[in-house]
Amino acid sequence: MVRKFKLESIHTRMISKATLFKVFHCLDKKKFETPSLIIDSEKVKEKFSLTGQNIKRSYVFYAVKANPDMEILKFLNQLDKGFEIASEGELKILSKIGIQPNRIISSNPVKSLKFLEMAHEYGINHFSFDSIDEVEKIGKFVPEANVYIRLSVPNEGSEWPLSKKFGVELEDAVDLLCRAQNRGLNPMGITFHVGSQCTNLYNWNIALDKAKILWDMAEKKGVKLEMLNIGGGYPINYTKSVIEISTIEKNINKLIWERFPENIKIHIEPGRAVIGDAGVLVTKVIGKAKRQDNNWLYIDMGVFNGLMESLGGIKYTYLVESNNPNKKNWTLAGPSCDSFDVIDKNVSLYEPDIGNLLLILSGGAYTISYASEFNGFSIPKTILI
Amino acid sequence: MIRYFEKEPYAPVESSYEVEKVLFKIKTKFQEIEVIENSYFGKMLFLDGILQITERDEFFYHEMLTHVVMHAHPNPKRIVVIGGGDGGVVREVLKHHGVEKIYFVEIDEEVINVSKEFFPNVSCAVDDPRVEIKAMDGADFIKRCHTKVDVIIVDSTDIIGFARSLFSEDFFASIKKALSDEGFFVTHSESLHFHKDMVIEVQKTLRKVFPLVDLYATPIATYPGHWWTFAVGSKQLNPRELRRPFDIKTHYYDDEIHTQSFLTPKFYKKLLNKELPW
Repeated sequence: MVRKFKLESIHTRMISKATLFKVFHCLDKKKFETPSLIIDSEKVKEKFSLTGQNIKRSYVFYAVKANPDMEILKFLNQLDKGFEIASEGELKILSKIGIQPNRIISSNPVKSLKFLEMAHEYGINHFSFDSIDEVEKIGKFVPEANVYIRLSVPNEGSEWPLSKKFGVELEDAVDLLCRAQNRGLNPMGITFHVGSQCTNLYNWNIALDKAKILWDMAEKKGVKLEMLNIGGGYPINYTKSVIEISTIEKNINKLIWERFPENIKIHIEPGRAVIGDAGVLVTKVIGKAKRQDNNWLYIDMGVFNGLMESLGGIKYTYLVESNNPNKKNWTLAGPSCDSFDVIDKNVSLYEPDIGNLLLILSGGAYTISYASEFNGFSIPKTILI
Repeated sequence: MIRYFEKEPYAPVESSYEVEKVLFKIKTKFQEIEVIENSYFGKMLFLDGILQITERDEFFYHEMLTHVVMHAHPNPKRIVVIGGGDGGVVREVLKHHGVEKIYFVEIDEEVINVSKEFFPNVSCAVDDPRVEIKAMDGADFIKRCHTKVDVIIVDSTDIIGFARSLFSEDFFASIKKALSDEGFFVTHSESLHFHKDMVIEVQKTLRKVFPLVDLYATPIATYPGHWWTFAVGSKQLNPRELRRPFDIKTHYYDDEIHTQSFLTPKFYKKLLNKELPW
């Protein structure tokens, strides 16, 4: 059976023809279960290989939280880069695949005791921190660990800000680096995060300026640093074309080499940029209703089983299967009984029939990793093609 | 003057044509068929808003889709044409005297009727006694095809649209089964300018099935990206070689064009390795 999707130019700017072609083939098969996440492995490979390409002396670590699916991690493992993790759960998955500890770092500034214990046992030796208690914890569980301080930087212009929860200002940062040294740890670097899905090129300028000030302040206090971890934040196309990764990286590279010593090591932690736009979420239309003036469209995936980020402001592009020539404005809602479970409003779509598919583009990152089985609705299955 | 805007979402440029006259418009079970008259191109056939052929230059596409594999084959007798309801490929195939049988498999019979009415110079051969018209899905026909054929030609609409079943690995596998040992398969695979990723994808899918896979290209003025490609799958013979003398009447194709239309080895390798920078 060949399904008929309403393809428009908005879609073609978000997803490549070859990816869509492969996804459609997958959907044409008789038995296709929804909700699912289809990942185009070739696109993942292309994006993962692209990150770091324009920054000298850079090492790339995939942020596992973006999508911790076992098959995806196995696939990424072949590409010979690193992984960034935050918890014992993520470590368990990587250890099952047999990823060497020297390819793993943890940039979670507040780690659980259990994780630190396991990480030490496994041989992981790179950790971020931003508090005195974390210095003590790491000192206790991983003596002599390499640690890097999380610096607070502006997150304006990123669609998913992270700075409020983590990071310290310059004076505290210097102080913590010294405390770490006194505790017998090896304070060797700085990290920051400009915010996830950051489309503001200027955020990296400010962050790198600030990191340079800290670098010099630390040196004066006798702490010689060697590594700069620039976090993630590279954006992907959701509803509009964003700035290219190569453009962002060329800018970052220039700024780094103007400011920092030549032998500096750069760590990058992309998550969304690796897996996000390689993924297409496949959902099914399960209901339609007209309430007052609103047209409601219900699908079998909602904010609890995959689309959590829509609550925080991420907007998606939808591609609908339909035999109808007319468009309507819809309120798009998930299947659960909770009134929070509304994905999007004012979505202009051709009217589907019950049972038709609705595809959500750029759905590879922070979707299944957030999903729960609330209300008995299943977590989308991941299919790597 | 009214203009016709072509609806090709995957082309970064938009083509539009002056309309002298709208000659015909119908919605069939499968697609929308339109015929317009343009002062330069003459009559133009659109399916689902995408231009298929024009009276003025249809031979570029039809000759190049047909004659390369027909000449690479030492003695093609039994041919399958899938799609190509306008009849252009059938016309070209029948220029080869040894041809005994053409299965002309078009899912939408209405396209054949429209072509007979508006493009008589294109559809002129479809009523030849050697032609057997099958109004059905090409993928189904090939799956159930029990006799061996020498050449299979797919002349379909956009790869991403409802013709996509004609580009799957399953389909290519049943094509291979239906072909005789010296058999050839050819299909269009879009533009090297605008759809490079699709060109590669079709080559890769064919390579999973056929031991010999190749690619040639032709300039076509009215297809997006112009630099249009054709993908060939073969069981044992190299499609770059002509195995019969060129002695038919054509407008564009000839024995020299045949050889020079294939991608040069270095360029072809760069394409497959994704080393082309555009």
